[in-house]
Amino acid sequence: MKATAAPSDATLTVDASCRAAGRTSADPRGRKPLTWKKRSTPWIYMAPAMIVLLLMTVAPAIFIFYSAFRNDKILGGVGKFVGLDNFIEAVTNASVQHAFLITFGFVAVAVILEMILGFALALPLAAQTRVNKVGAALMLLPFAVTPAVAAMVFKQLLNPNYGWVGYYLGVFGFPKGIDLLGDPTSAWIVLVILDMWQWTPFIALILMAGLQSLPGEPREAAMVDGATPWQMFRHITFPAMVPFIAIAAVLRTIQAFKTFDSFKILTGGGPGESTEIINLGIFRVGLQSFNVGLACALGVVFLIILSLLIPFMLRIIGRRADPEEM
Amino acid sequence: MIRSLDRVKRSRIVAGLGAALTVTLLATACTGGSLAPSTAAAKPTELRMLYTTDEANSAAVASLVPQFKEKFGIDLKIDNQPYDALQQKVFSEFASSSSYYDIVVVDTPWAPALVQNLEPLSQYIQNDALNPGSPQSNVGDFIPKVFYDTAVYNADSPIKRYPDPTAKPDVSAIKNAGFDVYGMPIQSNVAVMAYRSDLFNDPTQKANFKAKYGKDLAVPKTWDDYAQVAGFFTQPDKKLYGTTVMAGVGDWATDDFKTLLASYGGDGTLADESGKPAFNTPEGTQALDYYAKLAQSGHVPPGSTSADWGTTAESFGSGLTAMTINYHDLKLADNVKGGTIGYAPVPIGKAAGPHFGTWMLSVNKNSKNKEWAYQAISWLTAAEQQTTMTAKSLHPSRASVFAGIKSDNPLAPFYDTLGKSLAVGVGRARLTNYTEVSHEVAVAVNNAATGASSPSDALKSASDKVSALLKSAGY
Repeated sequence: MKATAAPSDATLTVDASCRAAGRTSADPRGRKPLTWKKRSTPWIYMAPAMIVLLLMTVAPAIFIFYSAFRNDKILGGVGKFVGLDNFIEAVTNASVQHAFLITFGFVAVAVILEMILGFALALPLAAQTRVNKVGAALMLLPFAVTPAVAAMVFKQLLNPNYGWVGYYLGVFGFPKGIDLLGDPTSAWIVLVILDMWQWTPFIALILMAGLQSLPGEPREAAMVDGATPWQMFRHITFPAMVPFIAIAAVLRTIQAFKTFDSFKILTGGGPGESTEIINLGIFRVGLQSFNVGLACALGVVFLIILSLLIPFMLRIIGRRADPEEM
Repeated sequence: MIRSLDRVKRSRIVAGLGAALTVTLLATACTGGSLAPSTAAAKPTELRMLYTTDEANSAAVASLVPQFKEKFGIDLKIDNQPYDALQQKVFSEFASSSSYYDIVVVDTPWAPALVQNLEPLSQYIQNDALNPGSPQSNVGDFIPKVFYDTAVYNADSPIKRYPDPTAKPDVSAIKNAGFDVYGMPIQSNVAVMAYRSDLFNDPTQKANFKAKYGKDLAVPKTWDDYAQVAGFFTQPDKKLYGTTVMAGVGDWATDDFKTLLASYGGDGTLADESGKPAFNTPEGTQALDYYAKLAQSGHVPPGSTSADWGTTAESFGSGLTAMTINYHDLKLADNVKGGTIGYAPVPIGKAAGPHFGTWMLSVNKNSKNKEWAYQAISWLTAAEQQTTMTAKSLHPSRASVFAGIKSDNPLAPFYDTLGKSLAVGVGRARLTNYTEVSHEVAVAVNNAATGASSPSDALKSASDKVSALLKSAGY
């Protein structure tokens, strides 16, 4: 017993010395405990990225929170703490409420349609044939175009007097010189189509990678058992793809909330205020009127809503990824 | 004991520094934030200027850079930025009290917010040594309305306007009235009408017009005639429409409305000097009603309710319309065979009030080369240089430049119209949040033009929103 008690005391002694040195326990495999220098090495490697992150993201974010409670003027004059005034103005203004509402509407419609179309594209393109490789490369082209440039090209195509879109719609019996950007409904359709044209390849790319990574055995077994293509999709492919769908949906949703260029160039928020998404409002208030406090408050409200929405989305989609829930 | 002595010493040093700082600040305050201009200021090797692109004819200004170097022995480095980027750059430069740019171009909607960051120029203008050969920079030569609307401000109350905007500019009078000069106008934009003179002079068109309306076809001078002539020329099957409207949501729609509002006898600036909206009036309703009817008449090209000034210029340039209202001289595309352009002031109602807005060159209050920056802007906006720049289509701001344009100048008709229009132009309200106000008015104009709202409802809604905006801006 004494022979066994002695090592135990020794262990306790080592633990105490480890704690004194800032460590929690001795290495169980008998290696030398890491020195402070060695432990700090990863932090040194990470430091440049962390410094950039702090300076470019964390610090501005803190400043935005700070500014949202003040009425600072960008040019001269000393601002003061105004409590929740900016937030009250941000959430009670009817135009702002409308802007938030249509922003969510746009994101929901665009992302759902892009997910469906992206999946439909990914399914045939997932098989790694030469034709599919060329097809996938071509499909990525819209994704590579700068959104502002895409919007400018669309605007020319939509010109009711000499644009191709109006001309071909006329061929199909639509009225001549149709002004698609002059009517709220058609303006929305155009904006969603532009977004789909540009971003569906992004979704398809993620889902294609997911489809290519799925094991073939369950499908082969199902085929042997006489399952139809729909049954295989419904019970094997789709459930296995849910984690990829979740990633694509979340990434695309975050991107869609940042949409700005296409609305600014194509409609400028019009007709009336029908396409005035919140980003256009924040741009105008913050970078044209330089009402920094209100713009920051709008940004913070937007951030809070997104911070609640994204985990909610992940929870819903993640739950669906659980086979027990299917 | 030693510690407490140290503390006493430290507090005395801090107090001393505070006092020195206070004295310095007071001294600076006494000179309005600037020391008196010195003629012996060190000559820099380079002056930096922040300028726009096409909006204020950057090519014209750039063409003078070699002459500037020859005259002053200083390199003039011009940084050109498109409109939105320029606005953000200008504001961020001043927000950070940067001295990088010595000269900054300022558009009129920004001036009320920026004026306290611009160097007041009266003491420079009145310093003979800084104005060799051109006493007081010959400011009396500037078109009065342009000069007062663009450059004359009371920095403590930017919303105020100089009481007599038709008086010959005089710096002493401006100072005595509590104002100062904050820049030199360089590019004067104003709404002018362009029309296809080949169509107006076509004997067949003249005969058809006479047969239809019982009077001679002439360039319209009233809004009623304008609508009638627009209707006459409209032949959609031949891809020809009467005129254009810039009814897309943007500053251009507000400008169109401003012109009509002033013309119908309303306050074309949109807000009065007490910071109250001034467009939801009978004159405003009349003006917007006319505009909405024109937009919905079929006498403007499809897409006019989402058009901006660039779109309307393209429409006219491609031969799609017989008339247009824009801020620049226009060109017809090669496919418009035999097409020629004439210019005329925009039609009038009870009064003339074309929308105008002029860009000015100002000296950065934080510049280390203010004296030289002043001499640079004074030289660039002098009559001789403006005359040279008319070869590149600059819109001059001096009366003598307009008077000196020769009849063989291909743009002589345009300049003649421009000069006449500037003399009666109506500027914008001097509000620090004019962009937001303009947006709400543009939304109202667009809603009325598309028929989404009646003109009176659209104006009432815009007026309520503008009232709230002005209140939140402290007016």
